Amino acid sequence: MRGRRHAWAVALLCLPLAGCLSSPLRPVVGLNQQLGRAGSRQEPALSGSWLALLTGRQGRLQVQLLDLRRGLPVPLPGLNRPDSQPISVAVDQQGDRLVLVRQREGRTELLLYRRSLQLAQPIPIEPAGVPRRLSLSADGRLLALEVSRDGLWQIDLLELP
Amino acid sequence: MALALITAALGGCSSLGWGLRRQPARPTGLGAESREHPALSGDGRLLASLVERGGRTTVLLQDRSSGQVLPLPQLRSRQPHSSPSLSWRGRYLAVLVQQGPNREPVVLDRATGRLHPLPLPPGRLPLQLSLAADGRRLAIDLLDNGQRRVELFDLGGLLEPEPIPGQRVSGGGEATVP
Repeated sequence: MRGRRHAWAVALLCLPLAGCLSSPLRPVVGLNQQLGRAGSRQEPALSGSWLALLTGRQGRLQVQLLDLRRGLPVPLPGLNRPDSQPISVAVDQQGDRLVLVRQREGRTELLLYRRSLQLAQPIPIEPAGVPRRLSLSADGRLLALEVSRDGLWQIDLLELP
Repeated sequence: MALALITAALGGCSSLGWGLRRQPARPTGLGAESREHPALSGDGRLLASLVERGGRTTVLLQDRSSGQVLPLPQLRSRQPHSSPSLSWRGRYLAVLVQQGPNREPVVLDRATGRLHPLPLPPGRLPLQLSLAADGRRLAIDLLDNGQRRVELFDLGGLLEPEPIPGQRVSGGGEATVP
């Protein structure tokens, strides 16, 4: 009798925890260790075996591209500049094309970066507007871009070359 | 509301030099309104975005070429929605919803109609989501004790992987998606 009462007490104590214990989210431990290093991480974009995100300390952000198969960041020569602040980023499933919105010299600009070419090209926004968030199709050819125009947020679809 | 076919004509396309073509996203049928947080499916056929409906931020899923709005009844009464993210063909839609006093990530399986709640441990506030095209992984941008961080989660035991053309699926062989 006492044992049965004890089992009921344990069950009642565990009940409030059931919600969190039953979450089906299973952390990817090794990669989360890489992501858990000092500094902040934000604005993740998964594509294929790549994760693009912004990393930084004390408000200074940089674009980082993680190769999820190796759990390591890959170099992005010519992309991160000390005079610019990235706002959002997306990557294609090959890990070659990155599109980012960044602020530089008081302006907000949209860029296409080809890792294979180590080249960043500005993408014009017409009619003029201020870009913010973005999403890239897996092949890196179609971009959906949130743009502020005349007090409204709009979504532009851009076919990239 | 069931399927709503948007018949408004597509705005003019414009060429912006170096082969770039721009077009506005298909209208949502309510005239000029703000649309935020675009999310394309991996194949580019579907577009999710956030709009205001009845004063509440609501995710809207549209077929990009026809403009047809696809119903998401499982997400009703869970506004405000934020940070939508789609799998390869849009079978899975990950989005942040309101669950009581908490913000909570969920994944909607549009093939089965099942909504998968993905509660985080207490003290962690989810801010943004990014779902892998095959639905096997979810990246969550979250606030943990004042620190902004990104964590990756494995959904392989929860969701049936969505095949991606040309990519090997577990068990060998090529995916058969056209």
